[in-house]
Amino acid sequence: MKVEVVKLKEDYAKLKIYDTAPYFVNALRRVMLADLPKLAIEDVIVYDNTSPLFDEIIAHRLGMVPLKTDLGVLVPRDECSCGGKGCANCTVRYTLSKEGPGVVYSGDLQPENERWGVVDPKIPIVELSEGQRLILEVEAVLGRGRDHAKWQAVQAPGYKYYPVIEIDQSKLDEESRKRCVEVCPKKILVEKEGRLVVTDVEKCSLCKSCEEVCEPGAITVKGDETRFIFSFETDGSLSAKEALVESTKILEEKYKEMEKLLK
Amino acid sequence: MIIPVRCFTCGKVIGSLYEEFNKRYQEYQRALTNGEKPKETPKEILDDLGVTRYCCRRMILTHVDLLKEAAPYE
Repeated sequence: MKVEVVKLKEDYAKLKIYDTAPYFVNALRRVMLADLPKLAIEDVIVYDNTSPLFDEIIAHRLGMVPLKTDLGVLVPRDECSCGGKGCANCTVRYTLSKEGPGVVYSGDLQPENERWGVVDPKIPIVELSEGQRLILEVEAVLGRGRDHAKWQAVQAPGYKYYPVIEIDQSKLDEESRKRCVEVCPKKILVEKEGRLVVTDVEKCSLCKSCEEVCEPGAITVKGDETRFIFSFETDGSLSAKEALVESTKILEEKYKEMEKLLK
Repeated sequence: MIIPVRCFTCGKVIGSLYEEFNKRYQEYQRALTNGEKPKETPKEILDDLGVTRYCCRRMILTHVDLLKEAAPYE
């Protein structure tokens, strides 16, 4: 397996993976969705809520807020040495207190320790009018995507087969070339000096529309099942690089366990 | 009600983008009513905010902000 990084930003990554098979790439995708741990608000203690939203709605909205996660420091609560009581190794506490009028933002959550700040301070939680108050305390713990979507660090992980477009120029005439150029939704087919050429094959979505509008056999669009274009986003709690490295570590652990079971 | 924190389908955080979208959309509307040429279309605003998938775009485009109506009821 060979991996080439096409694009790597703080919260987005695009990779090309060579010499592999769909199940390996899919395993990575599923680990990212369900097994990668991240920090999210789990318990909310409401002291005063006179806002127009119910306590439960506010608790749910708070849960969805992405929090900066350091997987090297935190451990899941059920594996913690404190035995599930909640200590500094497994729990992060925040307080929030605001009086209207004004909008309560995710940035109003005051972390106990500066390092656990919220990623995006501009997410509206609730709007308070004159005299309304919201005072609460929250506890955030590590969790995994399989338990609740709030613990899903990676968004929209996906892959596609590397497109391979073969064109038999002798079977194409002026008319069919024009039809191909027109029908391609990604606009990657162009006519050049009486020939049909592909500009950016990686943009192809394998829709085969061009195959359908001309003579059978003139164009064949196939996905190469050994090469993949893999892309994913993160919500900012982990960087794209961290998410990828951690996911492969988890996957490796899983394969090791499987190997042990087979012996 | 109030804009959801995340996209229902993919989970991208869109709550923080709504206010900015709304501000720029008002500007677009103002330009249209005054008969001027708008600086940017709603499509361009969404693209600029980095909302690429249609699941996240509909979250912002179809949202109706009604929280203010409920504000007097605690």
